[in-house]
Amino acid sequence: MHSIYNFATGPLCWAAFIIFIGGLLLKFISMVRRARSSEPYIFGYFSPYFGLRSVIAWLIPFVPRNGKLNPVFTVVTFAFHICLLVAPLFLMAHVMLLQEGVGMHWGTLSDATADVMTVIVLVGLAYFAYRRCTDPTAKYVTGPKEWVLLALVAAPFLTGFLAYHQIFDYQVMVVLHILSGEAMLIAIPFTWLSHMLLFPMVRMYQGSEFGGVRHVKDW
Amino acid sequence: MKKTILLTLLAVAASLLYLLPAFCQEDMRVIEPTAFENPQRPAAVFNHDAHNEKAGIEGDCYLCHHSEGKPDPDNTSEGTPCSDCHAVKAEKGKTGLMQAYHKMCQDCHQAKGKGPIACGECHVRN
Repeated sequence: MHSIYNFATGPLCWAAFIIFIGGLLLKFISMVRRARSSEPYIFGYFSPYFGLRSVIAWLIPFVPRNGKLNPVFTVVTFAFHICLLVAPLFLMAHVMLLQEGVGMHWGTLSDATADVMTVIVLVGLAYFAYRRCTDPTAKYVTGPKEWVLLALVAAPFLTGFLAYHQIFDYQVMVVLHILSGEAMLIAIPFTWLSHMLLFPMVRMYQGSEFGGVRHVKDW
Repeated sequence: MKKTILLTLLAVAASLLYLLPAFCQEDMRVIEPTAFENPQRPAAVFNHDAHNEKAGIEGDCYLCHHSEGKPDPDNTSEGTPCSDCHAVKAEKGKTGLMQAYHKMCQDCHQAKGKGPIACGECHVRN
């Protein structure tokens, strides 16, 4: 237990975060470079005002027309994404590890709140899976890769839930939890999970063009 | 007759009274400081005597019950609650109570390569 736990929470953890952050940085640089060579005119009308206006509009539920057209999806996706980010970042056990490991710390949620948020993430993923089977447009863009990525996102939350409640073998579950969390982080820059970076980039670009050139809203 | 019964009962009560501290000492099975107002996890499993026997540190009280600074056999703190020095909310330059417990247990377990180190290994749910 000691050697695998220390390896997973030590060198592997550092590697996962370096690949995750470094990978996203490289992706950002390569996207900007690509735009500069193939569509340099974007930089002529790039506007932080119109760009941020679009980012913010898309971050408020039911403001974009698309959100109003799909109310169930809007509620699920907002609840899912908020819980996905907040639960692990403010989980007491994670902040404690960070504090004891590198000395950084910030506020935490109660374990009961984080527990409910974890269930919301899992229910959200179940809904996305159901939607990929039933909604024709989602079905059209669903292949094996999509199922693997859904499972990859579900894994750290499911194993975290089981480890927290000490269901099945705790030691196995906690190691699986750490490894699956690291696998998910590593996958982000190289898969469509990178929409965590591409969402603001695309909206900044789209908002600038729609606001500054076409004089219309893009939501 | 009545006197005999009364005396017997008193004797039993007295012996029970002596049993109490002995029972408490032997039966320390968890670390459950009352200083934590709203504990988020079950109390850490810790069978004091069994642990010390297994770890081969019986009599080396100072290793855990340290006083200021490094563990010193001549300067120990048995009987003093950890929270007397380690406040729940860490004071500047001092170790907070939760960190003190975690550090005390984990650092030794890591150094020896034995004993629990992951959250749920100590904070066991029943």
